Amino acid sequence: MSWLESLTLTSPSGFWNPLLWLAFLVIFAVIGYIIYSRGNRSYKPNTEQVKPFISGNAVEDVEQIRVRAGDIYWGFMEALKGYYAVLMRMHTGDVRDYILWYLGIGAIILFILLGGV
Amino acid sequence: MGKLTNFKRSIWVFHASGGSCNACDIEIVAVLTPRYDVERFGIKLVGSPRHADVLLVTGAIPRDFADKLRRVYEQMPDPKAVVVVGSCGTTGGVFYDSYNIAGPIDEIIPVDVYVPGCPPRPEAIIDGVVKAWLKIEKLEKELEKKGGAGE
Repeated sequence: MSWLESLTLTSPSGFWNPLLWLAFLVIFAVIGYIIYSRGNRSYKPNTEQVKPFISGNAVEDVEQIRVRAGDIYWGFMEALKGYYAVLMRMHTGDVRDYILWYLGIGAIILFILLGGV
Repeated sequence: MGKLTNFKRSIWVFHASGGSCNACDIEIVAVLTPRYDVERFGIKLVGSPRHADVLLVTGAIPRDFADKLRRVYEQMPDPKAVVVVGSCGTTGGVFYDSYNIAGPIDEIIPVDVYVPGCPPRPEAIIDGVVKAWLKIEKLEKELEKKGGAGE
């Protein structure tokens, strides 16, 4: 068994040889470089040429033109502004507040249930 | 890539209308209709300056449009040529020296071919684009000499 064969892994569906893989990698890299070197050198990076065409208008900052997932709910938020304003004030992000709400509402439910007996 | 020049049998044109009264624009459309049908010569209107070899500009160019025209010009790949169609773009026409006009167009972007007329005939527009085509071929050769234009 030669050293090349010793590196080759054969299987019923084919074979694998890292040196062969490397050789192909080099060949394709060379082909890629040849294609790249024939490219249009009059291309000007970092100019208007690389920016999207928006009928001649300036391209705004991506943060200003991006449609976020939350924007889907814009209609609901606008229509129910008053309701959401109250809810959002209640959402403090503090877990202790939520536990307090949980205990408070639980106490009210318990009171109603016990009061009903 | 010099050896592929035989494949360059078409030229793509982007039309920018800046405050035109539409007379020049409909003559440009006439150039595309079956009577003249410039697409048979490989001259084609495209929707983006990013794809265009020639920028065809009409109108006296209001101040608000000047920076947009400049941007459109800068977005075109090299080599490129600019053709001004109509008297308004060429000299300002009846709007010359008006307070809200930034034109004539050669004061905003460099112009290669002028097609005067109000409006110019379709034959004149075709002639203008062919002249721009010759200019582009010349520019391409210059770029090749510099070792620039690959493609």
